[in-house]
This record gives sequence, C-alpha cells and structure tokens, in this order.
Amino acid sequence: MPDAANAATARDGRGEAPIAVSVRHVNMVYNGQHAVKDASFDLPKGNFLTILGPSGSGKTTLLRMIAGFGAPTSGNIVINGRAVGAVPPHRRSIGMVFQKLALFPHMTAAENVAFPLKMRRRDARTIPDKVERYLNLVRLGGLGDRRIHQLSGGQQQRVAIARALVFEPDLLLLDEPLAALDRKLREEMQLEFRRIQRELGVTTINVTHDQREALVVSDEIIVMDKGEIQQKAQPTETYRQPNNPFVANFIGVTNFLQGKALSFEAEGEVRFLHGDVVLRGRAGSAAASLGNGREVRGALRAEQIRIAAEEAALTGLDTVVSGEVEDAIFEGERVVYEISVPALDGAILRVFDHDVVGHTQFEAGRRVFLGWTVKDVLVFAG
Amino acid sequence: MKAARTAYPIRWRVMDALEAVAGILWPRFFRAGTPYLMLAPAILLVGLLVLGLWQMADASFRTLDTNTFLLSEDYSLANYKRAVTESLFITVAGRSLVGSIIVTVLTLVISFPYAYVMVRTPSATLRKFLLIALFLPFFIGQVVRAYGWLIILGNQGMVNEAFGLIGIAPMRLLYNYPAVLFGLVQYMMPFAVLMLAPALTAIPEEIEAAAGSLGADWVRTFRHVVLPMARPGFVGAGLVVLTLSLTDFAIPAMLGGGSQDFIANAIYDQFFRTSDQGLGATLALLLVAVGSLLVGLVFTLFGAGTLAMGRVKA
Repeated sequence: MPDAANAATARDGRGEAPIAVSVRHVNMVYNGQHAVKDASFDLPKGNFLTILGPSGSGKTTLLRMIAGFGAPTSGNIVINGRAVGAVPPHRRSIGMVFQKLALFPHMTAAENVAFPLKMRRRDARTIPDKVERYLNLVRLGGLGDRRIHQLSGGQQQRVAIARALVFEPDLLLLDEPLAALDRKLREEMQLEFRRIQRELGVTTINVTHDQREALVVSDEIIVMDKGEIQQKAQPTETYRQPNNPFVANFIGVTNFLQGKALSFEAEGEVRFLHGDVVLRGRAGSAAASLGNGREVRGALRAEQIRIAAEEAALTGLDTVVSGEVEDAIFEGERVVYEISVPALDGAILRVFDHDVVGHTQFEAGRRVFLGWTVKDVLVFAG
Repeated sequence: MKAARTAYPIRWRVMDALEAVAGILWPRFFRAGTPYLMLAPAILLVGLLVLGLWQMADASFRTLDTNTFLLSEDYSLANYKRAVTESLFITVAGRSLVGSIIVTVLTLVISFPYAYVMVRTPSATLRKFLLIALFLPFFIGQVVRAYGWLIILGNQGMVNEAFGLIGIAPMRLLYNYPAVLFGLVQYMMPFAVLMLAPALTAIPEEIEAAAGSLGADWVRTFRHVVLPMARPGFVGAGLVVLTLSLTDFAIPAMLGGGSQDFIANAIYDQFFRTSDQGLGATLALLLVAVGSLLVGLVFTLFGAGTLAMGRVKA
C-alpha cells in the first residue's frame, strides 16, 4: 500500500502525509457469512476515499465498523495511531453524515450543530461562534434558527455536514447521504462535499453505490464486491485500468468478449480466440493466468468503440468489424447503440456516440462499421 | 376476452352488485353527505352521554329527602357544599388525586424501558414474548387480576410465605394505600407501554447512532434525544394512565378493602348504598371537572402528545 500513499501525497504536493486510518485484515462475519472479508487499506491524512460497491457488497458494514457501530470479528482498525477495536462511537473523534441524515427534529439547525460541541463539553462561550462559522461554511448563514422541517432537503444535508464537522473530528464518514436526493441536487451536493473537504482538509471516507459520485469526489476509490476489496486506486486509474472484470463492469459500460488465450506477446499484448476470430488486447491480469488455452475475457468500454457508416472512416484502427444496429437510444449527451456483430458470433456490443450534434443518428437495422485499437481491449483471466 | 371476464372472482361480482344497489339507494349527489353519515353512530353515542350528564347535572342540585328517600323538588347548592366541606370527601379526593399522579409517574418510569426493549430488540422472539406478557393480564380482566393479588399478597400468601422462609415475620401487604397504588401501576402498565411503543418506533435508530457518533454516551443520548423525541408518547400515555387511575373503581375497592376508597368508590356508595343520587351525581360531575382540568393542564403544558393525532407541533 505505501505506493498508493505516495501517489496521493505526490499529487497533493504536501509531502509525506501520515496515515489517518489503517484497516488491517478486518473480517465481519454474520451467521457464518462474511459481510467483510480480509479488508486492508491505509488512508493518508487529508484524503477523500470512496468505498464503492453494489448493495450487499459490505461497504456500509466496513464504514460502520470504522465509526464504531459493531466491532470486527477479527482484524484491526487504527485511527490516528490508536487501535479502536472496542472504543465506543462517542469516544472516537469521528463525524458521520448518515444515510437519512438523522438530524434531531426537536432542535433548530443551530442547536443540531451545537449538539456535538455540548456533548464533548467544549467551552460554552466558544460554541455560538463556532456554530455560526460552520453554518457559514455550508452556506446556511442566517438559517440557524430554523427548525429542521422548515429546511429543504439540500439545506438539511448541509446541516448534517456542519454537525459532523463542527467538532473538528479526525475523520469524516459519509454513509450514502446523497442516495435519496434527486439527480441535480445530488450532483450539486457532491461538489459541495468536495469543496468543503478540500477547504478543511479533513480525512474523509464516503460510501456509495453511485460510480459517478465516486469518480467526481474522490482522491481514491475502493471498489468492493461480496465483502472483498476488489481494487484501490485513484479514480482515473480505476476507470482506465480496472483490476478485474467486476470493476470493469461496475464502473462504466463495458462489453465483454469471452475467448481462449492464444499467445502472450511482447509489451503485454494478448491474442485470444473469440468464436473463430482472433482478437488482440492488452493484459489486465497477471501474465501467468493468460497462458495459451486459458479462458479469458476481453473488456471493451462502450465509449472506446468508434462507429461509422463507411469502413474507410475507421482506417488506422486495429480492429474493424461490421454490424447491424439493433437499437439506438438517445440520451441527450450521447447516443447508446446496441449493435449485433456477426463476426463476433452475433455478440451485441454497446457503443456510445458522444457527438450527438455532429453525427446523424443511425436507425435500427442499418449496417455500420465498428473499430477499436488493441489498447482499448483489456484482457482478464476467466 | 371472454375468458378474462369469467376469471373475475365471485367476490368482485358481488361487490359490483352491492355497489350498484348502493348507487340506487344513495345517489351520487348525496355523496358529500357520506362522511357525516358515517359519523352518525359516534355522534349518537356522545349525544346520549351528554343527555346522561345533563340528567346528572339536574340531580346534583337536588338534595335527598331522608323521610321519603326522594330527591327534593327545589334546587340548591347543598350537595356541592357537602362535597367540598365534608372531610370524608376531601380525604377521598386527595387520595385519588395524589394516588393517580404517583401511579402515572411510576407507570411511565417502569413502562418506558419495557417499551424501549420491545421496540428496539433485534430478536423477534423476545419482542413476541414481551407483547404476550403484556397482553396476558389484559385478557384476564381487572377483577380477577385484583383477586390474584389478594392471593399473592394475603397474610398467608406467597410473598409472606417467602418472607417466612428467610425469617421475616408476616406483614400486612394488603388493604393499604401502597397496595392500591401497586395494583394500579400493574394494571396501567399495558396501556402505557402500548402508548409509548409507537412514539419510540417513530424515533429512527439512526438518530441514536448519530447522537453516539456526535459524542453523547447513552445517558446523554437518552436525555437529550430519546426523551424529548418520545415526549408525545409520554404525554399520551400519561394522560391515559392519569384519567384511568383517577377514576378507577375495582382496584381501590378490592386491594384497599374499603379503607382506601377512591372517588369512584365514593360515588358508588352514594348511588347504591346511601341511595343519595343527588350527592352521587355531584361527586361524579366534580370528578369529570377535575379530570378535564388535569387533562387541560397537561395539554397546555406539554401539548396533546400522540392524542393530538395528525399534525403535532414540532
């Protein structure tokens, strides 16, 4: 993991950042089932980490263990050098924004924000100033006297953030607080989270199933599935260089081409046989697992495939096939095509065309040509 | 199409027919009156109650003629004067009021943890057990239950026998004030738990977790978050317990053994022992007045709680 830490600090230009959270071989077993299985990672101070995964992937369980709601079955969690195994939540210095916000309805916005300061017995004279400062930080200046139900959904989000940050916790945890918001507000709040996090430099762990949110807000992303960490990397790397087919499929829209490996060549190029077509791609798994005759899967992102009416328009691409448009879905900023390719055993490929204004949309039944390069295909074992 | 038509269950077709009949009997333009029609039975019942109260108000101003055992023809305030000056009635009223307040406080204190565990436990088995344990005495009825206490707390009862085993001389556990209060608390608990449980269910568990992560231990979470949020439940449960125990008859009669009468017992005596309907009616009306005053006081101090239904002022 130290290389990941270095990458993060190098990008921030802050020099060697100390580790804020260290998770070591953490397991959580419910009724014989691993909700979290052997999770380990380090999080440098000031980083924004997102744990991304489908529901039931164990991401929330992991977050709750860090928060102190439920101790791991085995393994260690160290926060700022202190092993927190059996430390109850109220003795940890962790601010948490809950899925349903969990604001106190019998208090005003300002009283909600003041609550952690009072509970932590901070100097009473400093509390009003502090509350006001944090309400201003989340752009709720002047709304402190409002009751929670008098605030809009977005404003309630902001109160919850202010309340989780006002006592200057070592760590901020976000338990899918944006899941229930409509899209526009959600995207606005994602940027708010990022702004506030950068302004305060607070180490943050965010849990979500929303890949877009993960890509937008995070310094690093952990992808989880079935209780196991699949990949920990920066957003761009997670997207460009997924570790395995699960990650490739979960983030972005990916076509998979099943096949048998033929040969492993120089510079990580792999040839594999799909039906009776030889395809080429770059190795996504360890070279040993891509040996001759092994089952492999080539992952090809929908936006990496070029689409054209004429074959001539695709010269210079390594692979060009012809296909027939099965369906064309206009989504506004892009057109999603589903194209059956006879040369690939009738496989249906999903293809994005992002030049919605410049290109005319191909109708269903139309014959088109698809092309991509060797490096667009990432070949995984299995 | 034909197959789909015959596939409609017979119940649907019966309902369709009923609806058609209702359409003839209660045409569309009467529709606006339907809700009022449905209110009619309730209004009728309350109306009868008002009639009865009116009758009692009338009787309360007439004194009993001890020669003829009939109520006097002329009106006077004599009954009211007796009710507020005779020491027997003052003692009984004080006993009922103080008793019902003590019972309310004790019941709420004891019921809260019970309701809390019942609502919060992750174990469905425990929840069911707690619910059954709560309802079982409910099914038995107040008189039988009070009789049960007579057996358990009597001079040769289980408790005194147990005391005897550890060398404590048998003592009088019955026919005193604490025995009545004890019986009332035990009788009121299910009501209180049932009124508190919905209020506690309405507090999301996440709220308590949030208080924890914000630095509150369980005591402070309880004091600053659970208690204020459960207030509607406390008010509702408190009102029910207060009014029920203020007006209770069976428990003071049986566990008090005649020496610990509450207002209801005094009223009973006037109606059925002394046959002084006038004084009985006076006491009954005063009880209604005091009860309403108490409820009104709680309403103004704490709001109507869960009894407010619908919109509660936050």
